[in-house]
Amino acid sequence: MSMLPDLLLVMLVLGAALWTVAARDRRSSVIGFIALGLLLALVWMRLYAVDVALTEAAVGGGATGLLLLRACARLDSIDAGKPSAGRTLQLLIGFCCAAMGVGIAAAALGGPDLPPTLAPAVAANIDAVGLGNPVTVVLLAYRAIDTLLEKIVLIAALVGVWSLAPDDVWGGPPASLKLAKASEPLTFLAQILPPVGFVIGVYLIWNGADEPGGTFQGGTVLAAMWLLVMLAGLAEPPETRRALLQYLVVFGPAVFLISGFSGFWLAEGFLSYPTGFAKTMIVALEVALALSIAVIVAMMLAGPSARTPR
Amino acid sequence: MVDFYFGAGALVMILTGLALARLLWGPGPADRMMAAQLLGTGGGAIALLIGTGSGVTAMVDVALLLALLAAFAAVALCAGEPGSKGIHRERIK
Repeated sequence: MSMLPDLLLVMLVLGAALWTVAARDRRSSVIGFIALGLLLALVWMRLYAVDVALTEAAVGGGATGLLLLRACARLDSIDAGKPSAGRTLQLLIGFCCAAMGVGIAAAALGGPDLPPTLAPAVAANIDAVGLGNPVTVVLLAYRAIDTLLEKIVLIAALVGVWSLAPDDVWGGPPASLKLAKASEPLTFLAQILPPVGFVIGVYLIWNGADEPGGTFQGGTVLAAMWLLVMLAGLAEPPETRRALLQYLVVFGPAVFLISGFSGFWLAEGFLSYPTGFAKTMIVALEVALALSIAVIVAMMLAGPSARTPR
Repeated sequence: MVDFYFGAGALVMILTGLALARLLWGPGPADRMMAAQLLGTGGGAIALLIGTGSGVTAMVDVALLLALLAAFAAVALCAGEPGSKGIHRERIK
């Protein structure tokens, strides 16, 4: 019986994917991609990867969708009436994408039946860390160096977005996100939803220690709530030169680095935790990181400075 | 009972598939916004039904997140309307 929903899900995923590729205009394509993200969240759920499902739902529904749709709206006003890429380029892009898809499928299907895994080793040592969620244990204890670099990449990405600002508006606030057709229902939604979303975001961060969830999912939810307030015009994006904003952006990664280096004195080396304090330190790290992720994601979506600083 | 959960999940999935068709074809922005809402609600219902059926309690969190972000996605669809002029609207030149 459990086969039936799975089969339907696969058909819906394939349908949404085909639509995304085949849609004529850019906007329909993007909407197809957002729907695909939602369906993929359900697929990850069926594969018992609830952490991935939560990330897909939060990032796909809360961040990527808005980013791509705003990019569409902007591109429409720039290249209306211009021809799209030439036939040769289209064929080349199609070929490269197809080759990548075949490559990934070959790697996924052609490997050994039981791929090499360290999962049993993690499961055997999970009590040493004291957390209940094996994904968080791997991300913040065993492979903390990867997570640290990932957070630093986020800062680099935000610097990349900010450096697109022209000289005369450098340091000013990004363009207002307020919708051209702002309405009373939107204002109402932006007053009602953020308190609920804030609690859910904090819950996901806190829960990440023992259950699926964590910094990225929670941080993205917090960012989405801030963006909602900005979209309704109840708040304006802050100036990018503000010191508080910049401190918040580097706060999480900086705390991560300091705690990593403190491992030299307090524990066995870089990024290791003193015995008995691992859980306390990891939860504190997650809170700091989620705060920075929320600010970085929201500011990345708001875009580069577009108004002269006051 | 497990069969019932999966059967109900399959039924909701068919209905959500119809909402998906509305989201993709449109034709109007209002159709798409309502379909996005239904997709969020339907996705949440599927997560709850299948999660209960397969005994994964954390699926409740997925349903919670889908329900929350469906409302946000509706606003995002507004932001992407051709009428709104995008990022550099207020750029001073």
